[in-house]
This record gives sequence, structure tokens and C-alpha cells, in this order.
Amino acid sequence: MSAPAPATPVLEARDLSVVYAGNRALSVENFQLAEGELAGIVGANGAGKSTFANAMMGWSRGAPKVTGDVLLDGQSISALTTPERVRRGLLLIPENDLVFATMTVSENLAHAASARQAGGRRIYTTDEIYDLFPNLAERRNHLGGQLSGGERQMVGIARALRLAPRVLMLDEPSIGLAPLLVTVVLKTVRTLVDEGLTVLLVEQNVKAAIRTVDRLILLERGQILAEGPVDEMKADPRVADAYLGADT
Amino acid sequence: MRMMTPLSWLIGLGLMLIAPALLGGSGAVYSAFVLIAIFAVMSYGLDVIVSDLGEVSLAHPVFFAAGAYASAIGSSRWGFDPISTLLLAIAAAAIIAAGIGIVTLRMREFVFSLVTYAVTVVGMTLAANWAFLGGSDGITGIPVFNIFGYSALTDRELWPVAWLLLVAALYLVRCFRRSRLGQEAMTVHLNPRLATMSGIDPHRVRIQVFLFSAPITAAAGWLYSYQRAYISADVVDMYFLILMLTAVVLIGRRILLAPLIGVALILCQEKFLSFGGYVDRIILGSVLIVILSFMPRGLAGPAFDMLRWIKRRAKNINT
Amino acid sequence: MNFTQQLINGLVLGHSYALIAIGWTVLLGVARLVNFGHGQMYMLGAFVTWFVMSRFGLPYLVAIPIAMAVGIGVGYLMQRTMLQLTIRQDLVSVMIVTLGFGHVLEGVAALFFGSTGQILDTPLSVRDIYIGDIWITWQDIAIIIVAILFFALLKYVVEKTRVGRLVRMVAEDPKLALLAGIDIRKIYLGVFAFEGAAVAIAAALIAPRTPILTSMGFDQVIITFVVVVLGGIGSITGSYVAGIALGLFAAFFGAYVSAAYSTAAMFVFLIVVLVVRPGGLASRPGAH
Repeated sequence: MSAPAPATPVLEARDLSVVYAGNRALSVENFQLAEGELAGIVGANGAGKSTFANAMMGWSRGAPKVTGDVLLDGQSISALTTPERVRRGLLLIPENDLVFATMTVSENLAHAASARQAGGRRIYTTDEIYDLFPNLAERRNHLGGQLSGGERQMVGIARALRLAPRVLMLDEPSIGLAPLLVTVVLKTVRTLVDEGLTVLLVEQNVKAAIRTVDRLILLERGQILAEGPVDEMKADPRVADAYLGADT
Repeated sequence: MRMMTPLSWLIGLGLMLIAPALLGGSGAVYSAFVLIAIFAVMSYGLDVIVSDLGEVSLAHPVFFAAGAYASAIGSSRWGFDPISTLLLAIAAAAIIAAGIGIVTLRMREFVFSLVTYAVTVVGMTLAANWAFLGGSDGITGIPVFNIFGYSALTDRELWPVAWLLLVAALYLVRCFRRSRLGQEAMTVHLNPRLATMSGIDPHRVRIQVFLFSAPITAAAGWLYSYQRAYISADVVDMYFLILMLTAVVLIGRRILLAPLIGVALILCQEKFLSFGGYVDRIILGSVLIVILSFMPRGLAGPAFDMLRWIKRRAKNINT
Repeated sequence: MNFTQQLINGLVLGHSYALIAIGWTVLLGVARLVNFGHGQMYMLGAFVTWFVMSRFGLPYLVAIPIAMAVGIGVGYLMQRTMLQLTIRQDLVSVMIVTLGFGHVLEGVAALFFGSTGQILDTPLSVRDIYIGDIWITWQDIAIIIVAILFFALLKYVVEKTRVGRLVRMVAEDPKLALLAGIDIRKIYLGVFAFEGAAVAIAAALIAPRTPILTSMGFDQVIITFVVVVLGGIGSITGSYVAGIALGLFAAFFGAYVSAAYSTAAMFVFLIVVLVVRPGGLASRPGAH
């Protein structure tokens, strides 16, 4: 092995494959996410986007065979359990079930990483979170189950911020949200990237993704079909296909 | 049935009938065979619920006891013959099953199991206290099994009856799995949404499967009362529940002979390799725990895997 | 029979029921788990207390923590065995496995402690108090005090502390809890260890009221089940109130109608509740 290049990717996947009962759901040879980058994975429904995000977390529905290597800051985390990966700073905000419905917003946000776990990574305080999402400040004593879709998404992001993230993966943050709210959520994501966070956006809503990300990765049938800077990818007819296929 | 059954089945069942004689024909062998047949029939009732409907009924000891008590009371107090007591046993179990079925209609999974467990506990209380059921003294004076002039005083003489009952239970379960109701039960079990959309009423299916299952277990209780000639509250013992559950999961689900083999293994251990009642109890409970926790497909799962592996190896060697 | 005496009996019985049910309240309501070996764990707690006191001559206050330690061990071992089933939320299998554990525990206890009945006398149970014609023992008073303290402490821990929050998170949504960095295995193991300790302390306090037998134990599961369901799954306050109500019901039903059928009567009452409110059990996971 050669010495790490000056820019070691923050998150990396090598030959990652997920096989369900003989059917290959995902096969990604090489995926990299650079420091401070905001990348987006797009693709039609069933392309394997969520499978990819879950596999990075070491979590899966059912019992598929997962092989390959996942690296965080150049270190393999493939042998780690999901909670251990979270403690290293790899965070996934899942597609739905974003909040603990029987807990209040402030209880939802009370769960935070300890300074020791964070190892120098930033733990957002609740005050900083309420500055970022003024809506949540107003609703801090409401139960999670009473929140709107947009507020739930905010709680999801906020919880991740409390856990000292190194990399944030958002699975379909725009799903079920009104267009205006999608803009608000994605703008917040951009703010977080500007503050130094590395983010991977998993989106079916190609239009929203194109507006937000720096780099676009097109996933189809579990494989990376194309990737590149968003301005180049925009013109790619295959992206346009996905775009038309899933214009929500 | 004979028409539909392949020759191998006929031979197998025939061999089973003469097996105790082949094994020396001692009294202990005949009792073991009779008890295995009775408890296997008892387990088949539960097997249908667990394997096909996908729920766990803990009320089946009550059906077993209902059959035993119905036949004990019918024969000793009212002088019924075995055919009449069998009908009485089936009727009693069906009535209780209908009651439980209606009450638990909307309950699923563990709520259903909890309530059926509570039914068993209430059954125990009733059996031990209710004077009609003989209270703690139980019911004595059950006459010898006597039908069409055939009198079965010993287990040797009772064995053909037990064998017939077992064959009948196997046949019924086999027919059930091929019937429309059996198919519907599997659909409800595996895909409730699909079932509803295909026009199957899950509630109706559940009640019907329950009504099919309870009399099978009750029929086992019916023969048990003749075999023991004395019935008391210990027929509702937890032992029967654990025995049934273990027999059903031990070999594997939805394999026709699995409960029979399961019961046979357990009873052989208890009859011929016993370490005393308490240790046997520990063994039985541990088998149940280990199978469910570590071998959810039962013993047959790894066995099938092994067979497939051997076949593949054989094929590879040939080519 | 004297009405006031029955009222007192009912209150003592009610606190006993509530105390026996406390482990299950946490299991079922807070962590969505069941334990059908609960009754046998109660039996074990009673026998360990008796054994430590009668064979080693150790004081009651030493016997209680030993019984709790054994309970913790048994609870941990059970959950360790069926951890995969728990994580898959295969409650039906969990139920049967715990039933199997109950069966094993009963065998082990009979083997170890013998199958004859024993009397568990404690320094408190042999000291009576008479107020007029009303009779109560110090043991009864201890049951009431411990039950109240235990419920208050539990409510505080579940609602106000970090551990309580983690348990509630796992109970409500195990996947989301994993993604929040919580090691759900530890929580499940911990909850079962707690169940073991809670039922053991209940046994050490309550078992002196009646002779103890290795075959006792399964009435407790039903009483516990009724308390937890009537209390509204997992509601800690609800369980406490339901326990008291049920204790009063049992005392008066036993005194004026029939002692033998009081468990059956409770169960019939429960069936009525479940039929009227079939969703009752599954309604509010993680509620408190």
C-alpha cells in the first residue's frame, strides 16, 4: 500500500456488494467522498440508493450477504457494528421514522455524543440547533408524533448534529415535503457543509439534488452508472432520464 | 385414502402397526407406542395453528383436557360408548374453541398467545376446583375401552386403536394442507394484505382453522382418558403444553411427519433414557429453547442443507 | 368478615401484585418484550431467599441482594440466549423460549431445593400488629413501602434520566436507536437483568406471606399480565393503580364470593377489557 495521498477521502467504499438470497442488490466498485464535499446519489426507485446508505452504516433489512470494505478517514470500519460506526461520526438520517414519536422534541435532542466519543468533532449544542431550526425551538415541548413532515426532517438532522458527525448521509430528505420545505431543508444542508461538514445526499428528487450538490452520482440497478461535477452531469442524457423518470 | 396414498405410505403405516411386536412386544414398548400416538395426535392439533396459521396457541392443553374430561364423564357417569364419548369430546372442544376463537378474533401474535395462555391457567383452576370435574380428586371409574365387541384392557390391545387415531389425524392434516382452507391459512399467515385483497376473510379463516384444530387435540385427550382410566387436573399440566410446542418446532414446520417424530424422540428419551422427572423436564425445556433460539427451521433445516450439499458434491464429482 | 380487614388485605395484596408486575411493566411496556418465565423467576427468588437464610443462617437483608443477583444472572442468561429473536422482534418465539426457560427453572429448582413446600419466615413476617381487631404484619407494611418507593424510583428513572431515555428510544424504534449510536443489545440485556432483579426482590418480600413450592409461580404470570394490561401497557403509574385495584378486587371477591376462583375472575374481567378494547395491548409502545 502506498502512503495516503494528501487528500484521503473522508468516506470510501471498495467493492461493496449486497446480495439478497442470490440477487445482487448493490455492487459498487469504488465510491469516495472528499472532505467538505456535498455529493448526491440519484437514481430511480429501487436503484439501490437506500441499500447503499444502509450498507455504509452496517445495517440492513433482513439478512443479506454484505461484502467489501467501507473506510472512514482511511480506516476500515467494515467490522464495526452500526452504533460503533455512529460513534466514529458516520451518521445516517433515515428515510422515514425520523423521530421518537413518544418523546418531546427536546427529549429527542437530549441524546448527544459525549466529548470523549466526539474526539474533537463538533457537537452542536441545543441552542445552536434551535438557532438553525427556529421552528423546533417553538415546538420543543411537543411530542415527536405531533410534528409535521418538515419538522421531523429537521429533528432527524438535528439529532445527527448532536452526535458529533464527521459525515452526514441523508436518505430522501425531500420525500413527502412541500417544495418550499424541500428548499429550506436543503439550504440548511448547504449551511452545514459551509460550516465544515461532509454530506452525502441520497435523493430520488433529481431536480432538488441538482440544485444543491457539488457532485452527482447516478445509481442504476445497484451500480454507479456515471458520476461527475453537477454541471457536467446535468447535461448527461442518462441523468435526464432519471430526472424524467422520477419528477416528484 | 388408500387410493391417494402412495405405496410407500401404506407400507410405512403398516410397518408402524406391527412395529411394537417387531421390537419385542413387551408391555413397556406397547405403552410407549400408545402414548407416542396419543401425544402426536395432540400435537397435530397445535401444529396446524403454529405451522399453517402462524400463530401460537397456548390453549391447546385445554382442548386436550376437554377431550379427556368429556370422555371420562361421558363414559363413567352416563355410560356412553367410545364412539359417543368421542363425539362428546369433539363437541366440547369445538364449543370451547369457538368461544376462544371469537374472543381472540382481533388479537394477533403475542397478545393472542397471552390470552390463550390465560385460558389454560383458568382451565387449570377450573379442573382443580370445580366439583363437576371431580375437583382435586379427579374422575375415576372410566370403563375399559370397548367397541363392537373389541375390548382393549391393556396397552397392547389399545395400540391398534391409537394407531388408527394417528392415521386419521395424519390423513386429516394432509387433507387440510391441500384444502382451500389450508391454502387460505397459509396466505393469511405469509401475506395478510394479499389475503385480504384476494377476498379472503382472515377472521373467518382463523376461526375455521381453530375449529379444525381443537377436535384433533381433543381426540387425543379422548383416548388418553381410556388409556389412563383416571383423569384429574394434571391433564392440564404445563408439561403437555411444553411437550406439544417442542414436538411441533423440533423437526420443522409444515412437514407432515414432524410432530410424530418429535413426540417419538421426546418420549423415547423420557421412557428409555430418563434421568428422573426433574432432569427430563430440564432437557425438554432446553431443547425447546435451543431449537427456537438457534435452529429456527428445526432439525430438518440443517439436515436438508446437508442433503443438498451432498447432492451437489455428488453431481460435481460426476461431471 | 370485617370490611376494614378486607380493605387492608386488599391494599397489601394490591401492592404485592404491583410489585410482582414491575419487571413486566418495563419489559412489555417500555421495551416491547415478554417473559413467560416470570412466575418461575419469582419462585426462584423466593427459594434463593429461603435457602440463604435457612441453610447459611444469613440475615434477611443479606438474602435479598443475593436473590436479586441470582435473578439478574438468570435474566441476563435468558436474554443472551434469545438475543437474535429479540432483535428480530420475533415476539412469539421469545414467548415460547421464555416458557421453556420457566419449565427448565422449575426442574432446576425442584432438583436443587426439593419438591416439598417450605415456609419462608423473615424477621418482619413473624411480628404481628393488632389495631383493634385488624391484623397486619410488619412484612405487609414493608411490601407497601417498598412497592411505593420502587414505583416512584422507576418512574423517575424512566422519565428523567439518560438510561430511561435510552430504554425508551430502543423500545419505540430499535432501528432509529441503532442509527443514534445506541447499542441495543446492551439495552435488551439490561432490561432483562432488571426484570430478574425486580421479580426477585418482589419474591423476597411477598413470598413469606404464603408457603412456597417449586411448582407455584404460574399464577404470578397471569396476575402480572392482568396488571400490566389493565394498567395500559407499560404505563408505570397505570400498573401501580391496576395492581391496587386488582388486589382490592381479589380480597373482596375471595372473602365474599369464592377464594378458589379469584384468579379466574380476574382473567374473565381482563377478557372483557380486551374484547372491548382489542387494540389495548399494542396501542402505545414506549409510553410511560
